[in-house]
Amino acid sequence: MNEDDEAPLDPAESLRVIERERSATARRIIPDPRLLLWPWGIAWLVGFTVYFLRFGPGGRVIVDMPEWLPLVLLLVLIFIAGTITGFVGGRAARQVSGPTSRQGRMYGWTWGLAFSGMITVLSRISELLPTAQATLLWTGTMTALTGALHMAGGAIWNDRTMFRLGAWLSVVNVVGVVLGPGWHALVVAVAGGGGMLVAGLISWLRLTHVGDGERARP
Amino acid sequence: MTDDAVPELDPVIHAQARLRVVSSLSTLREGDSIAFPRLQDILRMTPGNLSVHLRKLEDAGYVEVVKTHQGRTPATLVSLTRRGRLAFEDYTTAVRALLNGGAGTEQS
Repeated sequence: MNEDDEAPLDPAESLRVIERERSATARRIIPDPRLLLWPWGIAWLVGFTVYFLRFGPGGRVIVDMPEWLPLVLLLVLIFIAGTITGFVGGRAARQVSGPTSRQGRMYGWTWGLAFSGMITVLSRISELLPTAQATLLWTGTMTALTGALHMAGGAIWNDRTMFRLGAWLSVVNVVGVVLGPGWHALVVAVAGGGGMLVAGLISWLRLTHVGDGERARP
Repeated sequence: MTDDAVPELDPVIHAQARLRVVSSLSTLREGDSIAFPRLQDILRMTPGNLSVHLRKLEDAGYVEVVKTHQGRTPATLVSLTRRGRLAFEDYTTAVRALLNGGAGTEQS
């Protein structure tokens, strides 16, 4: 008979094996929340800060740069973040099949289609507006949609951190819009991008905490 | 050890290697399955060894092994059946009972 067929020594040993394997498996099949949230946090923090520096409150130019640069930079950062998220999500879906990966795919499509719809509508309207108002329309709507999708994601996966992040983004967005053009970019950069970085850290700490039993192994 | 107080441990699960396999599979949500190479990688078992134990678990009706295609590449997907999930829960409960209730009767 196989050597591995040996029964565990005692009940305590059995429980240790169960806990060790469960936490080890969970950490391997659940995507790292840092990879899902930090690229977006950095994209928002850097992208919207540059926006603020070029299109400051009252139309002030804090740092002189071409008018097209902030938008291009933001789009590039968002593209990079989207690629990383898509790669991480796709890898998780290849390992585990069934309802969980189907849910993930549906959620991914939701983001893609919702944003396509938003971009289509806004690009028809924003050309009629002055730059400051057009910018506020884009960034305000984008943040509102992002907040709502995170809250929905929290509801789908019963994930409090994700839900709180969505609620935080929604509230911060309203505050920024009320403060007006210029300030909105700064608020969204610091509170929004920062919120994503914090949420990624919290989710990751939760995940590694689950794996504490594993690290006890010699 | 008093036989009446000691719950019986499922011999299919109560073996180091198969307990590891079932514990790992129990983290998947019901209806989800994991690719064979991935499971093998997580458990650090050889393909042959893992296959042997999966066969035994399959024979007991605890595990389902499905050969399918993901795109063009053949894939083997492993999942815990409802029966397997119940057996694992029963096993965990029995082990806990042994640990708590049987603590006085066993040497510690």
